[in-house]
Amino acid sequence: MKQTYDVLIVGSGVVGSAIAREFSRYKLKIGVLEKELDVCCETSGRNSGVLHAGFTYKTGSLRAQCAVEGNAEFEKVSEELDVPFKRTGKLVIGFTDKDMESLLKYKALGEANGVKGLEIIDKKRLQELDSSAGGEFAMLAPSSGILNPFTYTVALAENAKQNGVNFYFNNEVIDIKRENGIYKVKTVKDTYETRWVVNSAGLNSVVISNMLGIDGYTLGGFKGEYFLLDKKAGKHISMPVYPAPDEKGGFATHATPTVDGNVLIGPSSEFIEDFEDYGVTQPVLDDLIKDGMKMFKPFKKEDIIRSFSGIRPKLIVKGTRQTLDFVIERRNEVPNVINLVGIESPGLTGALPIARRTVALFKEKEELIPNEKFNPRRKGILNFSEQSNEVKKELIEKDSNYGEIICRCECITKGEILEAVHNCLGVETVTGIKNRTRVTMGRCQGGYCETRITEIINEEKNKNKEDVMYSRVGSYMFEGKVRD
Amino acid sequence: MIKEYTCIICPNGCEIEAKIEGTTILEIEGATCSRGKEYVEQELINPKRNIATSVSVEGGILPLVSVRLTKSIPKERIFDVMNEIKKIKLKAPVTISQVVIKNVLSLDSDVIATKNVVEGSNI
Amino acid sequence: MTVIKKDVVIIGGGSAGLAAAVQLRKKGISDIVILEREKQLGGILRQCIHDGFGLARFKEALSGPEYSQRFIDEVEKLGIETITDATVIDITSEKKVIAASKSGLLEYEAKAVVLTMGCRERTRGAISIPGTRPSGVYNAGVAQAYINLHNTMVGKEVIILGSGDIGMIMARRMTLEGAKVKAVFEIQPYPSGLPRNIEQCLNDYNIPLYLSHTITKIKGHSRLEGITVSKVDENFRPIPGTEKDYACDTLILSVGLIPENELSLSAGVELDNRTKGAIVDENYQTNVEGIFAAGNVLQVHDLVDFVSIEAEALSESVADYVNKGKLSECCINITTDSNINHTIPQKISGAKDFKLSMRVRKPFKNCEIHVIQNDEVIKTVKLKKAIPAEMIQIKLEGAKFKSPDDIKVVVR
Repeated sequence: MKQTYDVLIVGSGVVGSAIAREFSRYKLKIGVLEKELDVCCETSGRNSGVLHAGFTYKTGSLRAQCAVEGNAEFEKVSEELDVPFKRTGKLVIGFTDKDMESLLKYKALGEANGVKGLEIIDKKRLQELDSSAGGEFAMLAPSSGILNPFTYTVALAENAKQNGVNFYFNNEVIDIKRENGIYKVKTVKDTYETRWVVNSAGLNSVVISNMLGIDGYTLGGFKGEYFLLDKKAGKHISMPVYPAPDEKGGFATHATPTVDGNVLIGPSSEFIEDFEDYGVTQPVLDDLIKDGMKMFKPFKKEDIIRSFSGIRPKLIVKGTRQTLDFVIERRNEVPNVINLVGIESPGLTGALPIARRTVALFKEKEELIPNEKFNPRRKGILNFSEQSNEVKKELIEKDSNYGEIICRCECITKGEILEAVHNCLGVETVTGIKNRTRVTMGRCQGGYCETRITEIINEEKNKNKEDVMYSRVGSYMFEGKVRD
Repeated sequence: MIKEYTCIICPNGCEIEAKIEGTTILEIEGATCSRGKEYVEQELINPKRNIATSVSVEGGILPLVSVRLTKSIPKERIFDVMNEIKKIKLKAPVTISQVVIKNVLSLDSDVIATKNVVEGSNI
Repeated sequence: MTVIKKDVVIIGGGSAGLAAAVQLRKKGISDIVILEREKQLGGILRQCIHDGFGLARFKEALSGPEYSQRFIDEVEKLGIETITDATVIDITSEKKVIAASKSGLLEYEAKAVVLTMGCRERTRGAISIPGTRPSGVYNAGVAQAYINLHNTMVGKEVIILGSGDIGMIMARRMTLEGAKVKAVFEIQPYPSGLPRNIEQCLNDYNIPLYLSHTITKIKGHSRLEGITVSKVDENFRPIPGTEKDYACDTLILSVGLIPENELSLSAGVELDNRTKGAIVDENYQTNVEGIFAAGNVLQVHDLVDFVSIEAEALSESVADYVNKGKLSECCINITTDSNINHTIPQKISGAKDFKLSMRVRKPFKNCEIHVIQNDEVIKTVKLKKAIPAEMIQIKLEGAKFKSPDDIKVVVR
């Protein structure tokens, strides 16, 4: 007889994973239902990787509160969860008087939201801080930072798993019914019983919300396309450089260093109907090159490694493009449901504050008994390439798999890959290994190592070739053997 | 009739122009060596090709050994020869030049291994 | 970590590295080690199972593995030290080489370092093909490794982008294994690979080749479902209205090779932007004294026979360097007109004879290549045809270049 869950969370993006982790602080049976084959597949994994300061959001809004809260605690979070993070600060640059007006407006807004250290700086100081940036003056936001959204989401999910949460991948939710005070959640694989449902389905949050009987929400999909630049370009930029925001607080193309040393140019913003259309498009890519060169002077086309896109699930007023604040709600008439709709930026920054508010809504109705075994700390996979030669030598002596370099571009060893393949969530996709180790993320994009990665997955997980998945459900890589 | 050929015998890939009547070459120009004319003659009568593919190996450090033909075979028999090759399962060790199929389909060409595969695990 | 002193450290045990090692040994240099990251020696030829190798050198049509086995056998016979499963992770300008292996970190101090790391393939991301990122998009070399080395079939309904040799070879290879190769698209108005490969890889199997076409969209949510192609104009921009859709589950990309010089850069080696390989003199020496380069890491070759010859020429110089010390200064620069992409070497001394390798930027028929110094034509080579896919080599006498002024190589 399958167990009845106390809480089932729909969606394992950064918010769903954070919610799972926060609930695991308490004695509850918790499960996460994820439609894809890994965590962090959609919006959470397709953004600039920025820890926002919180100066573009309406004062008192959930966006503002969660951003500022999440920003302040991130040193502690990154240390607990063993994820890379750099509090680089951010430059918001301007060229014209209109830009200056905008910067002053957002400085005031930021200060009202509790953001510390915002200052307007001149060209000289701007060039000292970052010589690659174009611009006549800028606002410096010292509390902004950069992180890797994949390692962060994986860390949250792994910590949740270690603290007792069950993750179910390839379990897209297709129906939810309430019978005798219990929710029956049907997925493409199975039916689960739970007392509470938490909707953190991001791009599908309205679909799930409707299934739960909370309708009336409309999401607008805003696609953003990006270029990823080689680490050579990364040597020229140390902090995110954004253009002065428009009246709505939106940022056009910006240049963001990643915590791993690459550079992101983008994102664009186009309204789209199809929430699954992640295709990057030629006209947008052409614009990104033009705008990128303005923001980031060392931009060279030959430094482009890759392009990708993300879709922001903005909660909008139906029939308009007017965007609304996050919805994190519990309604008495729809019992035992916590509904999160329209979580996009600053969802990455605000993930844990959002999760705590979710738990608080649960607490309004039920007592929460602390889980004394809860451990907030989680260890990530050690990065061989960052160690000194002495440590490298020790690692190889302890385990010869660290002496076998599999990904030459990023200098990643078999030891790290084996750790990733045997991850506690049971993820087996090629991009799953990529997101946990950085394999295939270098300039050859897996040209050398991909054959080895898939071989390792085959051997370690005892899979047939046809069953190795690249990323999404159904993304088979191979037909089978050449010779049986 | 004038026909154009790209000779495939060597990497020069000479572009040959030949005046043909039926299967007879009346005039030929463009070949850097005598093999070019031989190639065109063969193309007119019975085009021949060489192929390379793989054969399954059990108990070796590689799962496959590469093979090729010692002589070219009629173009239209390529897939027949492939089918014969696909049936073979070798056991390690396999030695380079080892005959895998002698006189395949009586086409006067052997299938030979082009790699060494020593015994061991291919994992 | 004990530092091992070596006369010569060779980075990469593929065609160039193997030939260099054998020639060095024959020149009396025995304190050599080849560091190879794969489990076996041989480099890329291990997966090039088709024939066409060695026609110039051995007068036989060998497959890739057979060609490299000749050199591997010699290396073994001559007792040259090789370490496989060892990946070099750093080279310094002081010729220190560090490699990671299962037995630990290996650190060498070499008198001479020979760079023979080969090249990597240009990726889909680098050329920014629009569309989604489903599974089923493979570089030709990767597909070749899967099929020929890993016993793995990558797909059934195939489209190929790029008419380079590797793309055409894979068209034939996949067809032989039962895949349906629907078309090959090439952005240039002429094929990038050898004409004999169009004949025996495409025409033989009725695979159409469309010149002046490129892929403008990749479609598919999980696995590739199809692509959109467009005809392009003389500036390689897609012509609106010429879009055509093709259903496929596999896209093979053969869009160029890039010499793999990341390690060279950390040693301070200067690269030529035209070749993406090192700038070298007639001794194949880079700007860093004692660091030499040959093979695909120096310039992308089309015939492995020439790679072996280049590596052997390098070894002559390395042997001189190890035995006698600093080699003659090479101050005479070689420049080209806009018809020629590059020459290797980029500078010479005039003190010895040398061979110039080059490629034209576009096809020429019935042309002449002139090697000029101070308006004097030193040598003329008449060619019936010159195409970018075929490297051109010209032997030159050093003594003919009497002044230190630039040499110019032009097409007439």
